[in-house]
Amino acid sequence: MYKYIWLVPLLPLIGAAINGLLGRKLRFSEQLIGGIAIGSVALSFLISLAAVYSYGFGGHSNWPKPYVTSQDGFSFDWIPGGAVSINQGAEPRIQVELQRQAEEKLAAMTPEERSQRHPVLMGTVVGPRYALLNIEWSYQLDQLSSVFMLVITGVGLCIFVFATGYMHGEAGFYRFFAYLGLFLFAMLVLVMGSNFLMMFVGWEGVGLCSYLLIGYYFDRQEAANASRKAFITNRVGDFGFALAIFGIIATFGSAQYTEVFEQAKSYPMELIGHWGILSWIALGLFIGACGKSAQLPLHVWLPDAMAGPTPVSALIHAATMVTAGLYMVTRTNVIFSHSQTMLLVVALIGAATAIFAATIGITQNDIKKVLAYSTVSQLGFMFMACGVGAFVIGIFHVMTHAFFKALMFLGAGSVIHGMHHEQDMRRMGGLRKYMPYTYWTFMAGWLAICGIPPFSGFWSKDEILWRAASTTSIPYGWLIWLVGTLAATCTAFYMTRLMALTFWGKERFLGKPAGGEADEAHASAFDKGLSQHDATTGSAGDRPHHQPDEHVGPAVQHDAHGHGSHVHIPHESPRSMWVPLAVLAVLAVIGGFVGVGPAFRFITGTEHPGGNLNIVRWLDPIIWNPATHEFGTEAGEQTTPTANHGEALAAHGVAEGNHEASAYGDVGFNLAHSIEKSVGELGTEWLFIVISILVAGIGMALGWYFYLKDPSLPDIWAARLRPLYNASYNKYWVDEFYGLAVTRRTMDAARAVFIFDSKVVDGIVNGLAALSRLFSRIVGGIDKYFVDGLVNTIAAFIARLMSPLLRAAQTGFTQNYALVMVLGLMVGVIAFWGADIASAAAETASAIRHLFGFLV
Amino acid sequence: MVNHLFAAFIFFLQESGNESSTGAFGAMKEGVRHPDLSKFLVIGALLFIIGVAGVLTRRNIIVIFMSIELILNAANLNFIAMSRYLQQTGSANAIAGQIFAVFVIVVAAAEAAIGLGIVIALYRNKETIWVDEIDLLKW
Repeated sequence: MYKYIWLVPLLPLIGAAINGLLGRKLRFSEQLIGGIAIGSVALSFLISLAAVYSYGFGGHSNWPKPYVTSQDGFSFDWIPGGAVSINQGAEPRIQVELQRQAEEKLAAMTPEERSQRHPVLMGTVVGPRYALLNIEWSYQLDQLSSVFMLVITGVGLCIFVFATGYMHGEAGFYRFFAYLGLFLFAMLVLVMGSNFLMMFVGWEGVGLCSYLLIGYYFDRQEAANASRKAFITNRVGDFGFALAIFGIIATFGSAQYTEVFEQAKSYPMELIGHWGILSWIALGLFIGACGKSAQLPLHVWLPDAMAGPTPVSALIHAATMVTAGLYMVTRTNVIFSHSQTMLLVVALIGAATAIFAATIGITQNDIKKVLAYSTVSQLGFMFMACGVGAFVIGIFHVMTHAFFKALMFLGAGSVIHGMHHEQDMRRMGGLRKYMPYTYWTFMAGWLAICGIPPFSGFWSKDEILWRAASTTSIPYGWLIWLVGTLAATCTAFYMTRLMALTFWGKERFLGKPAGGEADEAHASAFDKGLSQHDATTGSAGDRPHHQPDEHVGPAVQHDAHGHGSHVHIPHESPRSMWVPLAVLAVLAVIGGFVGVGPAFRFITGTEHPGGNLNIVRWLDPIIWNPATHEFGTEAGEQTTPTANHGEALAAHGVAEGNHEASAYGDVGFNLAHSIEKSVGELGTEWLFIVISILVAGIGMALGWYFYLKDPSLPDIWAARLRPLYNASYNKYWVDEFYGLAVTRRTMDAARAVFIFDSKVVDGIVNGLAALSRLFSRIVGGIDKYFVDGLVNTIAAFIARLMSPLLRAAQTGFTQNYALVMVLGLMVGVIAFWGADIASAAAETASAIRHLFGFLV
Repeated sequence: MVNHLFAAFIFFLQESGNESSTGAFGAMKEGVRHPDLSKFLVIGALLFIIGVAGVLTRRNIIVIFMSIELILNAANLNFIAMSRYLQQTGSANAIAGQIFAVFVIVVAAAEAAIGLGIVIALYRNKETIWVDEIDLLKW
């Protein structure tokens, strides 16, 4: 089945093409559109499942090496680039080459010689190299792309099913599913492509689909702005990504993963402060990841992206697209692992984003905004994991996060649907009674994200924090851990707040004059003490039910419009919506068991239980081991005899710390290792697990206390911590800062350029025109007064001179004219027959002379 | 002068060809009885010249008209002579010259009628038929 993985991206594309091109023209029914979309995704999910099974568990010949479809001919030369010179990274390549030559010579020597000779032997200098750069279009099936394929098609399938219920009755139903299908195609190309350029194509494709779907309600100013913001912010990241791809091609002469990583794995390490070629490439890649995965400097687009429909938020802005950055960082882990500096940068950015977004999430009132900031925060956790060298755990968290965050977004969509498009949590409450399915499934997501065992989020988040505390890849691991733990506390707090405001407590939707399909416009009007009629602009709602000039009145007036019951009693969502919720809830509960950590080895008997089903074992072959400069641990075990202690099969456990420490040098204070000295290895791990559960409990308890036990507390504390509250509520004024520092300045620059254009460029053009007009006027003057004057003068002179003569000829006497005619006739006769007349006269004269010669 | 007139007279009586052999006088008689074409043409040309001279020199419009008639009749003489000549040489369309002469006579009649009308009108206006007193064409 693995031979047919090229169908996996193609099927959603075909579905999207049918829906998008024909859906409107042939007036497809919603059932047909939904059937095509869901069918195509379900089929590609099944193909992915079968392909992954046959690759990973069916004894595939390539395992654990990646399978590329070009092996079976399912590929084509996409960009036949031709010969390129490799002009970057000469120094490390020379170093690698010298090392290789030295090792070859050493291997050829006898043991006696080896003991006498110095191991570093001089070799020849490696000159510039050339490569044949042909970019092929082929798909790669390996451990990493398997995880992403299954998550994308699996979670995508759930969300497609949900969307058929959620988008019911929407005018652009066909368009929505066409965009979603196109997105799935682009996302699958991104994760399944076998080279960096295909990843880039997918990368841009998902960016485009994100733009289209955020701007799905393009008739709303706010959605249109949000889509543009997302697109432009992503451009910044894509710029870095593109530069990194150029760097990769210039350094390795290829864009194919297999070739690039094969070369990169033996490059020398670049420790902190050393900016070698791999560090620069990693920097460019990480800038791209920051843009796509909403990391700190470029995170501003993701919360605004909530203007799109909720299934879009779930699929693109929580489960799949925003994790593309993680995919890329993990895919290129060999490059990142080479650069300790970039690992530190990744970890710090991730930790900063995690705490930053988590603190904002505490004060937001829009249910989707809370989830959006939660997503940003969780993405920060994932990058934290990558930064401390635990790429596998980052992917693990991607997976669990995809389950529980998609679940919660869909749950939020269900709530919004049930509440008649109300998104403000302050007008919810007590929904548990009205929406039981949504409530119980949401509960699973809540427990998962808070990190309560045995829900999935616990396994991944706890492992991230433990890896941060025990990392030997970068310094300041303890700081990362501390920030991460604080962020986890905040996460538990704001998620409990969300639960309490939405599902528990008083039913606040009954009292407030919220209007029927209330949205953020009402909320902001309510905040500012304005009447509801003023709430006509700036809606953050999910659907465009309010036009700017539309009357937005209290609920009583809505009755006159025939808009449902007098107050909007929430209702449970239809089956097409809660069944996907249930599926995702099950996954959110059990999804973490694929990554049960080493701390439970006294129960499971092994560090990474489950064989290939364990995600650490599964992803191991694609992770570069800095200790051995090879991929995977098995290879590492063959070359390092010290790695065979007991059940420590993975290189990433603390048992391997010594090797990693040697690879990255001394990284200073290590929290976990310091504690280990007193309580032992297992004790330390359990200490951190307990701390993790404890902070989650504290956060949840605080949330319960603030929002259920004593609902007046939030206002009191908000007043007490007014500056902090304001900072969080206003998202630390990042948008305002960007507006001031970037957007306004760009406008200023545009204005300046416009002034330059209108004044200088147009001035030159107009000046030239004026100059030529002036010139022509001068020439015209010369022509008029000088040339014409000359001509007129001469003509007048001649006329004055000649006219008396010619006038004299006109006597008026008929006979004069007749005389002239006769003269003319004579002239003509003489001219034509003059000679004849003369000869005839001469003949006559001679004849006369002949006859009468005697007389003379 | 006398020499020239005499020469012209002799010219009229000169031999037309070599076939006559009856002596100078005989040839002269024969030439008068059967004058050849050139003699008619010469007479025509003389008539034409007299007409032109009359038109150019006489002041009385009536005389000028008469001179014009002379010119026209010079043309008629040529036509008739040519017609006769062509009949002798056996040309097929020899009658055309005679027809043309009739045309010219008709035109001359019409011209005389109109011209005399103009003269009368002119006289009524200017009270003169002396052309050197009429210079209306000048302006």
